[in-house]
Amino acid sequence: MKVWTGGKQGKQRWRRRSNTTPRSLLVCERSSFCDENNRVSSQVEQLHFNYKVSVLLSDCSSAPSHLESLLTSFSHFYLVRNLPLHELLDKQFLETAVYQGNVYGLSYRTRLDEDNCVALMPNGHLVLSLDKDSFQVLGFEGKTSTFNYKTKNRYVVTVDLTDGSMAPGRQAYLRLLTGLTSRLPLQMDFLLSHHPGGGASLQALLSRYIWSEHKPEVGTCSLTHLPCPDLQSCDPHGLLEWLGAVDANISRDNSSSSFLSSLVCPEPKRTVSRALRISICGLLLPHDVQRLIQELRCYLGQCQPESWVSLTVHGFVDSPVSWGGKEHGVLRGGENFYTLFIFHDHTYHLHLAAGAQDTCPP
Amino acid sequence: MDESVVQARIPQALVSVLGVESKPTLKAEAFTEAFLKNGLQRTPKCDLKSMLSHKAVVLDFTRPKKEKKNCKKAKGLNAHQKRAMKVFEIKPEHQRYELFLPLHQLWRQYIVDLCGGLKPTSNPNVVQQKLLKADFHGAVITVVRSKCPSYVGTTGILVQEFKHVFKIITKQDKIKVIPKRNSVFAIEINGFISHIYGNKFEHRASERSAKKFKVRGTIDL
Repeated sequence: MKVWTGGKQGKQRWRRRSNTTPRSLLVCERSSFCDENNRVSSQVEQLHFNYKVSVLLSDCSSAPSHLESLLTSFSHFYLVRNLPLHELLDKQFLETAVYQGNVYGLSYRTRLDEDNCVALMPNGHLVLSLDKDSFQVLGFEGKTSTFNYKTKNRYVVTVDLTDGSMAPGRQAYLRLLTGLTSRLPLQMDFLLSHHPGGGASLQALLSRYIWSEHKPEVGTCSLTHLPCPDLQSCDPHGLLEWLGAVDANISRDNSSSSFLSSLVCPEPKRTVSRALRISICGLLLPHDVQRLIQELRCYLGQCQPESWVSLTVHGFVDSPVSWGGKEHGVLRGGENFYTLFIFHDHTYHLHLAAGAQDTCPP
Repeated sequence: MDESVVQARIPQALVSVLGVESKPTLKAEAFTEAFLKNGLQRTPKCDLKSMLSHKAVVLDFTRPKKEKKNCKKAKGLNAHQKRAMKVFEIKPEHQRYELFLPLHQLWRQYIVDLCGGLKPTSNPNVVQQKLLKADFHGAVITVVRSKCPSYVGTTGILVQEFKHVFKIITKQDKIKVIPKRNSVFAIEINGFISHIYGNKFEHRASERSAKKFKVRGTIDL
């Protein structure tokens, strides 16, 4: 926002106000699964690193058995302590895991606006988000971050490990390897996961360091007498706010005695007698989310016509990449998530939300 | 004003009015001379007669005048001529790393002598002060940090130091020209590693020995 300021000697200059609130983006789509061009599956594939999936089933008191078995069969992931980064360039690891397109890797407990963060995507791209000092010491080509480009505090190094120039023995590969071994020996905790059947590829790497295997945590909670808005007519912001309040167990009564929350269910509303809330936390892979969506559609086909299901998938806040490998940053929130409302008649509403330091979701 | 008016006799009619009387001519002249003689100051400089008498004028035995030699100072060459003579270029057959290794050994001895025997117990501050004034031709220099990532990691023997660049020769027998600005260099001697911040080091080597370094600004690249 520009403001006239009266300067000295009558000179008038434009000045930019810098105290505007950070922007957030919301992309909404309504379509049907029966439509061939529906973008749900491509959207789901593009967000690689998901840390939480929340499901809300209306008119349901306990999870059906198929759903339970699916939830317990989500892919396991590994947490490696103090992994030196040059191990990701190890020739055997590259041949067995990276070139097959199997591996998802993300640095754990590194803050995106302060520390150095690393992400390894299944298409073989290694993304390093470095602060200024680390980048100047590493000595490998990179670009300044697209966000806060004027202060130049953050640099992003993107390496395509499947490219011919990065084959082991080539000049670019050796330069990055010497950079990560002698000039900038980074070590950080790493979360690793793989497509089903690719477990053996990681074993060689894991055996050299301290590692632990984890499976995603599943939590269920059944709710009664849940006031819910009319999903077809409610505006997206209000709807997402209500859904977040349900997920976080915030009271929506707005009673006069409570000072914590003044959230109210958007009008018009109706009361659902019972609902089931499920949350899954961990390093969740897109293909598991696809299977969950298929299973929820099957379940909904057997339910009453008014019932609906909502699925919210949250991406990692500290991941250097967001949808489709685009850069992600943290200003105040760092949220990047999408919410899918599925109805009985195979129609869906898809909402994609991103924060201030994100490019527009596809 | 006409002098005849001044010298005219006062008419008789005005004598009683003015109260003065003209004197006869001879008496008036005598009076004027006496008046001037008493009134004017006689300076000895104006006494020409005494100046000219009793002075000897030497006619022979004069000293021969020395002829001033036209000593032309050597003007030196300007930059255009220096560049044309190509004195500072190193020919390709001389661009070999092994040829500069003796220079490096010489430089090491020079630095050790300069710092008074570089023992592990020497004070780093003393060593640093000496290094600020030292010459670095022949040192093995490494780029440790740089705003431009492709300079980082280059190592070699310093061949020429100019005002804004270092020219080094790498082990692969390549001459690399590295600008001093926005880079940090490391020099190692006997276990002492010094970092040179190129932004503050943009002076000719000859001028640097007389320069006082002040702590000003940041060393952030």
